[in-house]
Amino acid sequence: MPIRHTARERRFRVLVLRVALLAVLLAIWQIASLGAPAFVLPGPARVYSAWSSLVATDSFWTDFGITFWRVFMGFVIATVVGVPLGLVLGASEKLGEFFEPVLSVINTVSSSIWAIFALIWFGLSDWTTIFVVFMTAMPLILTNVWQGTRTVNADFVELAQTFRMSRAQVLTKIYLPTILPPFFSAARLAFGFGARVSLVAETLGASSGIGYRLRQAADLVQTDQVFAWTLTLVALMIALEALVLKPLEQRLFAWKKRPGAQ
Amino acid sequence: MASVKLQCVSKWFARRDGDSLHVLQNVDLNVPEKSITAIVGASGSGKSTLLNIIAGLVQPDRGCVFLNGVKASDFKDWGSMTYMFQEDRLLPWRTAARNVAFGLEAQGVKRAERKERVAETLALVGLDQFADSYPHELSGGMRSRVALARSLVTRPTMMLMDEPFSKLDPTIRSQMHTEVLRIAELMSMTIVFVTHDVEEAVVLAKQIVVLNPRPGRVRETRTVDLSYPRDPAAPEVHEQARSLRASL
Ligand SMILES: Nc1ncnc2c1ncn2[C@@H]1O[C@H](COP(=O)(O)OP(=O)(O)OP(=O)(O)O)[C@@H](O)[C@H]1O
Ligand SMILES: [Mg+2]
Repeated sequence: MPIRHTARERRFRVLVLRVALLAVLLAIWQIASLGAPAFVLPGPARVYSAWSSLVATDSFWTDFGITFWRVFMGFVIATVVGVPLGLVLGASEKLGEFFEPVLSVINTVSSSIWAIFALIWFGLSDWTTIFVVFMTAMPLILTNVWQGTRTVNADFVELAQTFRMSRAQVLTKIYLPTILPPFFSAARLAFGFGARVSLVAETLGASSGIGYRLRQAADLVQTDQVFAWTLTLVALMIALEALVLKPLEQRLFAWKKRPGAQ
Repeated sequence: MASVKLQCVSKWFARRDGDSLHVLQNVDLNVPEKSITAIVGASGSGKSTLLNIIAGLVQPDRGCVFLNGVKASDFKDWGSMTYMFQEDRLLPWRTAARNVAFGLEAQGVKRAERKERVAETLALVGLDQFADSYPHELSGGMRSRVALARSLVTRPTMMLMDEPFSKLDPTIRSQMHTEVLRIAELMSMTIVFVTHDVEEAVVLAKQIVVLNPRPGRVRETRTVDLSYPRDPAAPEVHEQARSLRASL
C-alpha cells in the first residue's frame, strides 16, 4: 500500500508542476506580446479569439480531416510496405547486406527534398503529402522491424520446432511478438515525424489542409491565425500521445518487466 | 505405447575449419515403454545430440532410430512426444496459461478444449493460482513447473528432457523430481533425460546410460533396481550414486 500512495502523490506533484509551467509560459507570452505589435506576436487573448472563430468555421474541420487523412494514409502505406520488407530483409542475410546502403541513402535525404520531388511528380494533390509522409515514415519502420528480427531468440524458434509448428506459426507466434516493441516505438516516431513533415509538404504542394492554411495565414500576415493553428496541432499531438499511444503501449506491453519495479 | 530403439547410430558435425567432428559412434540404445532412462557423461560427449536425434531435430548420419517400433522417417505421431530444455524457454509476452497453451496451438486444438486442458494441466503442477502471471512474476521453480505443464498439456507418452532442472536450487530440484515421478506414473509416460547430476540419475532412472566422450560411445548401461519413491538420503541411493560417479 505505501508504494501506491507515493505513486499517486507523485502523479499529483507532476500535475501541479505542469499547470504551474503552463501559467508561467502564458505569463511570459502575455508580457512579451505587450511590447510587440499584434502581427509580430499576438497575445494569448487575441489568439484565443482567433481560435474560437476558426473552430466555428466549417473549413476548420475539413482542413483538419484532410491533413489527418493524408498523414494517416502515408503512415498506413509505410507500415504495409515497411513491416513485410523489414521481415524479409531480416530473414535473408544476403538481401539485407545487399540493400543496407539504400536505406542509409534514403535516411540522409531530408524530408523537404522529398517534398520538392513529390511536387514535381504529383503536383498539387493529396499524393504529394502522402508521399512525403511515406518517405519519412517507411525507412524508420523498416529499419526497426529489420533490427527487431535480429533479436528473435533462436531458442524460442527451436521450442516451436519441437512442437512441430509450421513456418507461418513460427512467424506469428515468435517473430511478430518479438518485433512488436521495436515496431511500436518506430511507428510512434514515424507518426510524429510524418505529421510534422506533412505540414511542410502541404505548404508547398497542396490547396487544402492545415499546412496550406498556415501558409495562407502567413501570406496575409494573420499571425494570430498561425498561432491558433499551431496550438491546435500541439494540443492534438499531446492528446494523441496521452489518450491513444500511452494506454495502447501499456496494454500491449504489460508483460514487460519494468526496471526498478522489483 | 512409447519405446525408443537406436541401432548403431553415428553422427558427425561439420566444423568451420572443414574437418568433421565425430560426435556419436555406433550408439545402441533401448528404452522400453513406461521406463525412465538417464543419459550421463562428460560435457561434450554428445548427450544433447543423442536426445535431439531421438526427437527428430537432428538427423543421424548412420544407423536407425525406431520410435514405437516404427522407423523415425515413417513415424507420424510426433504429438505424442515432448521435449523439455535446460532453460524454461517461457515466452515473456505470454501469461503462464498462454505459455502452456502454446503446446496445444500447433496441434490445432479448439479454443474451448484448449482452455480446459490448460487449466487442468496447471492444476496438475500446482500452479492454478498463477495462470495469469507473466514469467517475470514467477520464481525459478514456478517457471520450471510452467515449462513442465507446457510439455504435459499435449498428453505425451514420451518425454525427453535435457538437463531440465539443473538451474534450480537443490530443494526445488528434488521437489520437481517427486513431481515428475508422480506425473510419469499417472500418465504412464516413457522418459529419457540427460543429466550431469548422478544423484538425479539414480533417484529418477530405471536405466542409466553412460557415454564416453570424443566420440560419444556407450560405455555402460546399468539398471537401478530400487523401488520408487527413492529417498535421496537413503544409503542404497548413496551407494548407487557413488558407484556411478566412480565409473564416470
Ligand atoms: N549443431 C552443431 N554443429 C556443430 N557441432 C556441434 C553442434 N551441436 C553440438 N556440436 C558439438 O558436438 C559435441 C557434442 O555436443 P553435445 O551438445 O551433444 O554435448 P553434451 O554432451 O550435451 O554436452 P553438455 O554436457 O556440455 O551439454 C560438442 O563438441 C559440440 O561442440
Ligand atoms: Mg548438452
